[in-house]
Amino acid sequence: MLNLLKSGEGFTPPGTKDFDLPSFFNNSPYFTKPILELFLAVILISVFFILASRKAAVVPSKLQFAGESIYGFVRKGLGEDIIGPEFMRFVPFLFTLFTFILVNNLFGIVPLIQFPSMSHVSFPYVLAFFTYGVFHYIGIKKQGFGHYMKGIMFLPGVPKFSYILLTPLEIATYFLIRPLTLSLRLFANMFAGHLLLLVFILGGEHMLMSDAIGLKVVSVFGFSIGIVMTFFEFMVQCLQAYIFTLLTALYIAGALADEH
Amino acid sequence: MNKDENALWSIFGYLLSGLLVWGGVGWALDRFLGTSFFLLIGLVVGAGAAITIIWFRFGRE
Repeated sequence: MLNLLKSGEGFTPPGTKDFDLPSFFNNSPYFTKPILELFLAVILISVFFILASRKAAVVPSKLQFAGESIYGFVRKGLGEDIIGPEFMRFVPFLFTLFTFILVNNLFGIVPLIQFPSMSHVSFPYVLAFFTYGVFHYIGIKKQGFGHYMKGIMFLPGVPKFSYILLTPLEIATYFLIRPLTLSLRLFANMFAGHLLLLVFILGGEHMLMSDAIGLKVVSVFGFSIGIVMTFFEFMVQCLQAYIFTLLTALYIAGALADEH
Repeated sequence: MNKDENALWSIFGYLLSGLLVWGGVGWALDRFLGTSFFLLIGLVVGAGAAITIIWFRFGRE
């Protein structure tokens, strides 16, 4: 990349290769930036919430207030409002999911880190796998295997012969489409967002480094759009963490409900 | 709000799986029989089935 810029060659647009980050240690795939970010996220979240909850006071400090606001948001907005009376059991899971995804997403715009770990598809897959396991387990435990499967497969109130068309759809939706869309939505948003930032910022850099004075001037626009997009990304990153947790809560609520 | 959001995402999922499942069946039939119309039929049937499910699950309140 740098060589190309120096020799004034054409601009190499950013692509999937920009997501293959080199290993830090011994070429081992376990020591790459995304993996490190996961650990960093765990440490940051733990330290933040331990500090925020250590000296719990009736009149909260700023830190305690921040911690309690996030917790309260997940507990009230995602737990109580959606899951209903049994929500308390699931708050730890939802809260962990939300903060973990949020911090990992925000790494995409934190200076010097600037790489969203969720833009590697395997991480969202694992998170979606947890959600998948939890909501099916809850459903089977609460309703019994037969009743739960019956609720999924046979929609009440439609003519019998239409089950041949509808049942495959229900099965596909519950067992394939749900975990897949859950993980791919998060992955695609983070991937596209990072690529977008790369395009504007690397493009701006390329124009700034070029010999033509006109391009140097125009590079200002590249950088300013890059900055605007960074704020936009901040919004998307928060939203995606919220949607992932919201859908998890909705699926759990669906598995708990006896209505089907 | 809860019901609406639930419906929104579930509807999206059903539409997607309708197209994928029956469209996929149609595509496979086309591939093995050497025809070219089963994919279209599959997509239409899939969308229809998905809309039926949505209608019966969410449209009766």
